[in-house]
Amino acid sequence: MSNDEIFAAAYREHYWAVSRYVARRLDGGTSEVEEVVAEVFTVAWRRRSDLPTPPLPWLYGVARNCLANAVRGHGRRRRLVDRLGHDETAHGRQIVHSPDTEPPGAWVHEALARLSPADQEVLRLTSWEELGVDEVAVALGCGSRAAAMRLHRARRRLRAEIDRMRTTVAPGAGAPRRDTPKEQGHG
Amino acid sequence: MADELELLRRANPVPSADPRFREGPLPPGAERHLDLLTRRAAPAPNRPARRPHVPRPRRAHLAWAVVTAAVVAVTALALLLAGPATPSAVAAPRPLTPVAGSAPVSLERLAERARTAAGEDASPRLRQGTHVQSWSLSMTSGPDARRPVTLPEERVVRWRPDGSRTELVVATDPRRPGQPVVTDPGGDPRTVDDGHVLSRVTLPPSWSDAPPWARPPHDARGLRAYLDELDRAGGQDTPRLLDAVAELLDHWTLGGRESAALAQVLADAGGLRPAGGVTDRLGRPGQAYTHSAPGIRRMIVLAPDTGAVLGLETTFTKDQPDLAVKAGDVMAYRAWMR
Repeated sequence: MSNDEIFAAAYREHYWAVSRYVARRLDGGTSEVEEVVAEVFTVAWRRRSDLPTPPLPWLYGVARNCLANAVRGHGRRRRLVDRLGHDETAHGRQIVHSPDTEPPGAWVHEALARLSPADQEVLRLTSWEELGVDEVAVALGCGSRAAAMRLHRARRRLRAEIDRMRTTVAPGAGAPRRDTPKEQGHG
Repeated sequence: MADELELLRRANPVPSADPRFREGPLPPGAERHLDLLTRRAAPAPNRPARRPHVPRPRRAHLAWAVVTAAVVAVTALALLLAGPATPSAVAAPRPLTPVAGSAPVSLERLAERARTAAGEDASPRLRQGTHVQSWSLSMTSGPDARRPVTLPEERVVRWRPDGSRTELVVATDPRRPGQPVVTDPGGDPRTVDDGHVLSRVTLPPSWSDAPPWARPPHDARGLRAYLDELDRAGGQDTPRLLDAVAELLDHWTLGGRESAALAQVLADAGGLRPAGGVTDRLGRPGQAYTHSAPGIRRMIVLAPDTGAVLGLETTFTKDQPDLAVKAGDVMAYRAWMR
C-alpha cells in the first residue's frame, strides 16, 4: 500500500474514534468537533509517511495537542479550558453532590473535574478510550512505566475525591455521614 | 461500590453507541476533507510506496542500542567502583536516607549556587528528550492484590531535527549489572536478560506550542507558569508541582539556566523540607528535599552545585493492604541523566 492509501485507511478506520475522543473533551457542537478532528487528520496527513502502527494512540496524542493549540490559537483559551474538563457549566448539567443520588455520571464528572488535567487525561484515556498502559504512553508521549505510575496516582486521587463526595449530609440530620471509610489520597 | 475506573467508564459522556459519533460511513464533510487531502497530494499514481522501516531507521535503532549499551556499561562500571551491595532480584530499593552528619542546604541557597553555575561557560544546554533510569512498583489492587515487584528500566528519548523522536526502553538495573531483570509484559512478571530491549519506537513529529512540548523558559517566573500550565487546575500544591516537574523532565533535559530557574521555583513554592545530603541510586551526591502527605513521602534530589534534578522518589509511609504494599516500600524512583 502507498502512504496515501495507508493514511486513507487509517482516516476511515479511526475517524469516529477520534471524533469521540474530541467530543468527550470539548463540549462544542458537532461542527466544532468536526473542525478539531479535521485538524487532527491534517496533521496526520503531513506525517503520513511515518504513521505508527497502530496509529490510534498517536492520533489521540495529536488530538490532545490540537485541542490545546485550539485553545491557544483562537483566543478562546479560558472558555475552552473550562470545557476541557466537561465541567458543569459547559454541559449545563446539574451537579449532584452525592454518589447516592442518580444519575451517577454527574458526580463522577465532578470528582474527575477536581483532579489536575494530567490526572484527568490518563483516567479518560484508560476508561473512555479503553487504552492499555502502553497505548496511553504513546498518547501522552511518555514511557510505559511513567504512564502506569501516573494512572496509579490518578486512580488514587479520583478514589479519594469520590470518597470525599461520599461524605454527605444525611437527610434530616445536621451531622456529616460517611458511607465508607475514607481512603487516603496520595496528595 | 464499583472501582473508580468502572464508575468512570459508566460516566462516559460519549459512548461508542452515541448516535452522533458511532462507527459508520464517514459524514459528507469528512469525505470531502479526505478527498481534499489525498487529491492535493497529486501526482498520486506515481507516489513512492511507503518507505519500509529500513535502512535508515534501523541504523538509527542500532546506534541507539549501542549508545544505550554504552550508557549501561558506564553506569554499571560506576556502580561497581562505588561498590553497592547486590540486592536480590525482586527486592524493592530501600528509600534513600540522608548521609549521616550532612548539613541540609536550603533551596534558596541551592538556587543561588545554581544561578552561579549557570553563568559558567561549561554550563549544559537545554535539550529536547530525556534519559532516565527508573525503579517502579508493579502494583495490583483489591483483596487479591499480590505483593508488588519492582521493575527497573532505562528510557532514552531523542528528538530528530524533523521533529520525530525515537524512544528506547531497556530492562536494566544498574545496581545489579549483568543480572536478570524483572519486567512485567502484560502484567505478568518475569525475568529477562540485563539490557533486554522492552520497546523501541520511532514516533512521527507531533508539534504543539503547549507544555510539555513547548520549550521551557529559563527564568523562574516563566518556568513556574509553564509548570502551572502542565497542571491547568492552577494553584498547584507541592505534590502536583513535583508531578509537573517529572513530566517536564520526561520531555526535556534541562540546561544550566533552566535547572537554576527550577531550583528557584521549588524554593518559592515552599512545602519542601531540606533533608540533607544523599547519594542517589546512580552513585551521585545530591541534596534531598522532602514533602510528606498522608501515606506518602516524596523526595526530590538536586545536584548540590548546579541544582539539576537528579531524582524523584515516592515512598509509602504506611501499609496499604489493598495494594499489598508496606510502609517503606518505594513506589517509584526516577533518576534523570544527561
